[in-house]
Amino acid sequence: MTKYLISRILRALFSVVLVIAVIMVMIYSFLDKQSIFANDPSFTKMKLNAKETYMMQQWEKYGYLDYVPFADYLQEEVKAGRLTQEEADSARLAITAEEDDEHTKALVDAFTEKYRSEGYEVERLPGSYKIGTKKYKEGGEPRLYASKDVPLIKRLVTYFTGLIKVDNIHNVESIEGERGLTFTWRDPAYGGEKFSPAIMGNGTSYKYLLYFDDSFPYIHQNLVKIRLGVSYSVNRNIDVFNTMTDAQGPQKFTTITYPSGVVETTADDIHSLRYIPDTKDSSLLNQKYYVDNYTGVTTAKSGLSQMGYSFSIGIISVILAYLLAVPLGVMMALNKDKFIDKLGTFYIVFIMAVPSLGYIFIFRAIGSSFKLPTTFDMQNPTWLMYVLPVISLALPSIANLMKWLRRYMIDQMNSDYVKFARSGGLSEGEIFSKHILKNAIIPIVHGIPGSVLGALTGAIITERVYLVPGIGNVLTEAINKYDNGVIVGVALFYALLSVTSFILGDVLMSILDPRISFSSKTR
Amino acid sequence: MNENKINLSEFNLSDEELFAPVAQDELASERITAPRYSYWRSVFRVFFRKKINIVALALLAVLIIFSYVYPAVIGYDAAVDPYVNLMDGSTKHLKPADAIAKFGFNLKWILGSGASGNSTFDAIWYGSSISISLALVCAAINMIVGVAIGAVWGFSRKFDIVMTEVYNVVANVPYILLISVIVLIMSASFWSMVFALTVTGWIAIAYFIRTQVIIIRDREYNLASRCLGTPITRIATKNILPFMTSVIVTLVATEIPSYISYEVFLSYIGMGLSDMSLGKLIEAAKSAMITPGWGFEFWSPVAVASIIAVVLYVVGQNLGDASDPRTHM
Repeated sequence: MTKYLISRILRALFSVVLVIAVIMVMIYSFLDKQSIFANDPSFTKMKLNAKETYMMQQWEKYGYLDYVPFADYLQEEVKAGRLTQEEADSARLAITAEEDDEHTKALVDAFTEKYRSEGYEVERLPGSYKIGTKKYKEGGEPRLYASKDVPLIKRLVTYFTGLIKVDNIHNVESIEGERGLTFTWRDPAYGGEKFSPAIMGNGTSYKYLLYFDDSFPYIHQNLVKIRLGVSYSVNRNIDVFNTMTDAQGPQKFTTITYPSGVVETTADDIHSLRYIPDTKDSSLLNQKYYVDNYTGVTTAKSGLSQMGYSFSIGIISVILAYLLAVPLGVMMALNKDKFIDKLGTFYIVFIMAVPSLGYIFIFRAIGSSFKLPTTFDMQNPTWLMYVLPVISLALPSIANLMKWLRRYMIDQMNSDYVKFARSGGLSEGEIFSKHILKNAIIPIVHGIPGSVLGALTGAIITERVYLVPGIGNVLTEAINKYDNGVIVGVALFYALLSVTSFILGDVLMSILDPRISFSSKTR
Repeated sequence: MNENKINLSEFNLSDEELFAPVAQDELASERITAPRYSYWRSVFRVFFRKKINIVALALLAVLIIFSYVYPAVIGYDAAVDPYVNLMDGSTKHLKPADAIAKFGFNLKWILGSGASGNSTFDAIWYGSSISISLALVCAAINMIVGVAIGAVWGFSRKFDIVMTEVYNVVANVPYILLISVIVLIMSASFWSMVFALTVTGWIAIAYFIRTQVIIIRDREYNLASRCLGTPITRIATKNILPFMTSVIVTLVATEIPSYISYEVFLSYIGMGLSDMSLGKLIEAAKSAMITPGWGFEFWSPVAVASIIAVVLYVVGQNLGDASDPRTHM
């Protein structure tokens, strides 16, 4: 079994990598890369050559291509000792290539030759003057750069190697004091008296690597960060993993002690302190609160994250669905062709045939006539606002579960072992609960991990209709805004969930039913 | 012995009525005498035994006439609707009674008027013809490709290994992403939507068929058939396909409504067709749903989409039941 599981997991991971490769080909090669600027305000403000180079910079940032401007090349050469700083500084691009002076021309030729030989495309953008003057127009300075599309394999490798980032004490360049980790029993953020262990680092990107606080799950870490893909337009410059998992809603105020000893009631989340170079004395506020360059804080919010809202709605509806569907399905099978069965079948047909949008609006209309809240409000959360989304999600899955459970039970009822059990004198109740249900429930159980993990991905229509700030619309929003980083990240997340739930389903099935074995070879 | 001899002429029987020696016919002795059985005639006999099927078929006929014949008869064209009147606010968002009062009684006003003073009734039927066509074309392509590939997938073990990996990859590419990429590359026209829905849509059906084929292919009667030297194509078409008819028809029954529902869903999230399909109508009217008195614009296309889906589902499901030879007894 272990051997089988390992090979199964490896194959699953392989297909996940392939999925990401397919998606990367789809969005990086098939789609027009200009489209990522559709919702970028700074792009529209840019002019002339500055616009071209801005596009190049952004494309490099979001993984489309490798971009080397002339200035970067000169700095590299200085670092390598092949040029002096003065030589590099004196290189100045003229308005066209022909007008360059001797010194610059030699450097430009060396640059062109070096990158052409490496397969780059070298582009020279001539400058443009304002009419009648010798001054460049805004963004009209001449530019020289080399660029090359990132090949798929390299893009895949960089993506998967950058997926998990572990913080270490050599992460930041200049640091005051000794680099190292300190362990404390009493977290200074709580005044240094409350018992609250924490591991803090100096030289790491985050100050707190491991700490406790009073919000679920009580132990938190900043040591390992998952980076699924940086957003371009959905949630600018924020990794999609953070977009999905960061708390939302109104600010949450707590009384904390800042590193300088100031005690204040604030919404700053002191445990999120991040290293930002040269900020210690950059403002009076920083001088008041902080003693070193760990000054970046995020705001603590009291709501759940996108994933949190989706999952809490999803998991309640999954539990509700299984609790209701199993007895209902059994009842339908027991009363086959009687009134209950017909009523249940009518319900199943209704759910299967009516477009999902239609019945969600019907539930919403019914719910609002009962004065239930039809929109989600993070500012004044009540339990009632969960009712309609949960019902809208649960009712279709109840129908689906009922349909299959009824089918499986009826199939089992006609099998020989049931006739044998009946001829052996077992009561109908015993036959149903001990024999038929046990066999019929196995394929149903196979789906449990899928529905539980599926709750993490949210529901597109339900969340839109009830304005739930959940995760379901992240993918559609990213697609509509051409946010490639988010698309790849979310796709990876979905693919991992789906392969995990398949494997877990098989494992669960083989635990419940000893006849099912995956270790022996299939026929 | 001789006294017992009977003179046959005493009975006044003609020659035809008397026993006569028959030549031994080897072929005739092999013939099995059973009542004549025609598969499809039995299917329809079982199908029409249920009264609800006749009702559903009649309803289906009405729906098809309204979606395909009615727009053609009145010459409906979504682009040039003569009743679209952007300037006159008094013709917009009318309830059925108000619309009839304003324009006089006509079939086209029995569902009121829409956001631009157009007839909701006409728009719905024109939209249904697009939605039904999309569902039928997609279901046809997916079923044909899916069943053919699924059958080979189930039979060939080498193909199985390759296809299972392909399935793992394809099934994990989010379909919304796939559809939107195809729509962005091509356009949101009818045929590019068909392409987007079928380019990977067949694989789920093929996977389902593969599992069914694997279950049936190793049964004893097929083993016996193979031992007798039946070629594999004949096993597939004569031994296995009849078993699968009911499964396939049931699949078709669920596929067609699911495409109608899916088209509505895609339009709602803004990735649907550019034509005025049912989904697009519902999407366009979703703001009217909240406004009191405008509800007809939203609920009528939802109701029509639901009725079409339910009727197609009921007909298909019962046809699936009827096409199972075990119900023909």
